[in-house]
Amino acid sequence: MKPRIEIIDKLKGHIFKTLSIYYKSLSECRYVDVRLGISEFKSATSENGQSKDVADDYDASFGIRVIAGEMSSWGFYGQSLGKNDLKVKRITDLIINGINSAYERAVANAKKKQEFKKSADSLTEVRLAKIKVCQDTVPADFEIDPRKVSLQKVLKTSIDVSRRMKELDLSVRYTAVGVKTGITRELFCSSEGASIDQSLPLTQGVVYVSAQKGESSPEVCYDYVGDMKGWEIIEGKNCYKLSFLDFALERTRETIELSGAEFLKTSKDEVVVVTDPHFNTLLVHEIVGHPTESDRILKMETAYAGRSWLFKNMDEDQVGERIASPLVNAFSDPTTMGYGYYNYDAEGTPGKRIDVIKDGILKTFLNGRENAAVLGHEPNGSMRATMSSMVPIVRMTNTAFGPGKKDPKKIIKEVKDGYYIVSHRIPSISESRENFRISAKKVYKIENGKLVKLYRGGGIMANSKEFLMSVDAVGNDFKMYPIPTCGKGQPMQVMKVGNGGPTLRGKARLAGC
Amino acid sequence: MIKTEELQTAVSDALKQVKKQKDVIDAEVFASWNDLITIRLNYTSGIPCNGVHEPKSIQSYGLGILATFKKGNRIETGFGSVTNDLTKEGVLEALSKAKRNRVYDPGFKTLSESVGKPSLINYHDKRVMEISGKDAVGLGWKALDGTLKALHDGGHKKTVIIGGDVTVLRERMAIKTTKGIDDFDETTSLTANITAMIENKNVKGTGWSMDTHLTTFKPEAAGREAAESAMRTIGGRKVKSGKHNVVFGNQPLTDIVSNVLIPSLDLSSVYASNTPFLGKLGHGIASDNLNIYDDGSIEGEIGSKKITCEGMPTGRTDLVTNGTLTGFLANNYYAQKFRNNLYCPIPRNGFRYSTNGRDYKNKTGIYPTNVVIEGSRETTRYNLLKQVSNGVYIGRIWYTYAINGLAMGDFTSTIIADSFLIKDGRIASPLKPNTIRINTNIKQILNNIIGITKKKRSTLVWGSREVVVAPEIAVSNVQLDNVTGFLG
Repeated sequence: MKPRIEIIDKLKGHIFKTLSIYYKSLSECRYVDVRLGISEFKSATSENGQSKDVADDYDASFGIRVIAGEMSSWGFYGQSLGKNDLKVKRITDLIINGINSAYERAVANAKKKQEFKKSADSLTEVRLAKIKVCQDTVPADFEIDPRKVSLQKVLKTSIDVSRRMKELDLSVRYTAVGVKTGITRELFCSSEGASIDQSLPLTQGVVYVSAQKGESSPEVCYDYVGDMKGWEIIEGKNCYKLSFLDFALERTRETIELSGAEFLKTSKDEVVVVTDPHFNTLLVHEIVGHPTESDRILKMETAYAGRSWLFKNMDEDQVGERIASPLVNAFSDPTTMGYGYYNYDAEGTPGKRIDVIKDGILKTFLNGRENAAVLGHEPNGSMRATMSSMVPIVRMTNTAFGPGKKDPKKIIKEVKDGYYIVSHRIPSISESRENFRISAKKVYKIENGKLVKLYRGGGIMANSKEFLMSVDAVGNDFKMYPIPTCGKGQPMQVMKVGNGGPTLRGKARLAGC
Repeated sequence: MIKTEELQTAVSDALKQVKKQKDVIDAEVFASWNDLITIRLNYTSGIPCNGVHEPKSIQSYGLGILATFKKGNRIETGFGSVTNDLTKEGVLEALSKAKRNRVYDPGFKTLSESVGKPSLINYHDKRVMEISGKDAVGLGWKALDGTLKALHDGGHKKTVIIGGDVTVLRERMAIKTTKGIDDFDETTSLTANITAMIENKNVKGTGWSMDTHLTTFKPEAAGREAAESAMRTIGGRKVKSGKHNVVFGNQPLTDIVSNVLIPSLDLSSVYASNTPFLGKLGHGIASDNLNIYDDGSIEGEIGSKKITCEGMPTGRTDLVTNGTLTGFLANNYYAQKFRNNLYCPIPRNGFRYSTNGRDYKNKTGIYPTNVVIEGSRETTRYNLLKQVSNGVYIGRIWYTYAINGLAMGDFTSTIIADSFLIKDGRIASPLKPNTIRINTNIKQILNNIIGITKKKRSTLVWGSREVVVAPEIAVSNVQLDNVTGFLG
């Protein structure tokens, strides 16, 4: 028998007690938290209508953060767990060993920090901004329980969808489909007295298709549908309002059409561009979501994902300044549905909606408790980790451009000469997110308010602020889409986030082949 | 910590258990223990910080079974794994998962069979295997010390940022199969990747150090290199948009190889029609000066292993020879799938990597090891710059992506540090960071190579596991476009 997520009911009292008592026995310990997570899932992959892999399994791990030492410093320990570890005696021993390892690192780190303080006076003790200490249980919310869907059904779905995609046209060279459904339950306990037990379902379908006409380069499409919900996502209750099969066939038809289209050429100058909600999903992710994460703000990501164009130093930043046209709004909200949905973040801070850009003015940053303390801000609950065994970092939640009032058809109709940029593909962003190049699946030429020609291999590039300031129309067609593969951190953590927005119209250079 | 002998005993006992199952035809049992320690640095002179931010580790061990089962006339395959359990009960649980998860995959032919003998033996460092938490934390502070001292000696104490990390990876694995493979492997690797920035001078520098042994690992030297590189590029200038002759240094070449070129040179990409080199085997795809091969058996390189995660001895796989495409990276699954009378790929790149090493939970994928870039007519840096005459030396790029998908070959990236203008065959003034975006295509880069240096450096980029043994290469007519700078 595989372990079920219900095992946390048996363990949580013991884990809370172990942490509360053991933490007090460590003389230099200031703070400890433990996250223990277990997920049950079923998954299947198929290629060209043939089964490739299935799994009906579980995954469990825990992670421990400690703040300790005379000059308070961090130490962290994480490890995977097996079935035999999920017993009271065994898990108690493992957690004590984990606290000891994290404590040893934190104390060693604190001693070194003290030594270096003489030559580096910005070194400081770790402080966490205060939060309401919560004790809560949040059950998983779904219509069709992922655990009651049979493995055969998951496999059959993946085989059928990949076969139907392959059969659509002779130009389709390869199709692959992945389907996954499951529930993750994570317990968070802290030495401050928090005990939060939160369950989140997840269902996702992924499609990959390549099509080739003649000697031209194959056209490839990779796309996904998913949400923090049950199997109903696959049956059509998703952001596309399409069954997974219909979603997959629509992507395949687009790919076939594109494989015969002309390649877009790079423009020398800026042109008028209308960007659709799916394209703006990646745009807001890259030029609003990431640069407002407070670890980038505080330059902690300089060696990896870069800094932020919204913050120069502690005395000079863009908060309260105009960074976009008055028509542009953006928010981050873990309480709305999307891949960034949760009630509490990985530090036990309640999640809440925050305005990031209001009428074109930058309002605030996404943060965790430590960064909030450094910036003097209120914690807004934006810390997450890919697995319980990894250290939480600041992540965007459901971060999107806010809706406007204009009919998107009218936004296109008003354009005499421009381009309609449809569905995001791949981004490349400059170091502080001040410039972007993002490719689109489809680009249409607009002439006198009508779409007259389809191009492939295109996208747009612009300086972020110049693009945001150029926005002169915002649609009323707001949508939130899943982004399942946002990479950040060292070691790299791949996170699911929600992003979205309405149709926008602005100015950018076309980036072609 | 689990000893290698325990893993060997576990796979041997497990195979005995598996052989008792009547419906199992063949099986491959893989067990591993991994520990990745990461000491992450964050020093900001103007913002309260921790110096060494978070010493952390992720540890795991367990056992995975890939088995083939007979069902009528068909062979089905199934995979199952267990965590933290090498007992008989654990083996039976993994086996029952493999049975439950079995499917008919027409692409599967047979399990791996060993060919040849491994050349690397006992190449790990016992001291690294036993490193304490305190000593690991100390390595991070050494890197920070090297950087800070160099910056302070250069008179730079304000608006300083130091980031990056020191990592310690320890891996142990054992494998035994019904096809006769019975082997084990132990690896240790140490890396320091440091970035130093002086913000009021708008400069950033990088330094790195990699080793398999503690005695020769110098994180402080990586820090010093980052600081010196940053100071060297003070006073940067912009260049105009247009086509330029450029020299790609070790890091940018590695970034392009890891993110664009190597993903296009593995058989899973060929099968998915997701490579610009489809149908090009045996054809010229690059300047005849260019050679590329993967070799997981190079002593001292941190990408090296004794055997793959399928039990195959590591070795050399030629990919590009004198500009001609001569091979693709493969694991056993794809090597069997593509094998024919004219092409017989050897599966030297089947690994089960995840975040913290060789993961018993995974089936094998295709991963590069040490990718070596060589010239047929190699030259010195002095002569390379002479050949370029006027252009741009690019020392570090960032966010390199195949912007229209791998199949198209287009890629883009921004130049963020360590770069200079080349004038009259010499390094002239520094290039202002974050002001140039590269917009080009991998096929164009490969065909427009002007020259390749003999001197190479082992290099690793963020998010990649493979080492690229990278020279500096000069390329003509690369499109560079001006972009705004930081808060510009």
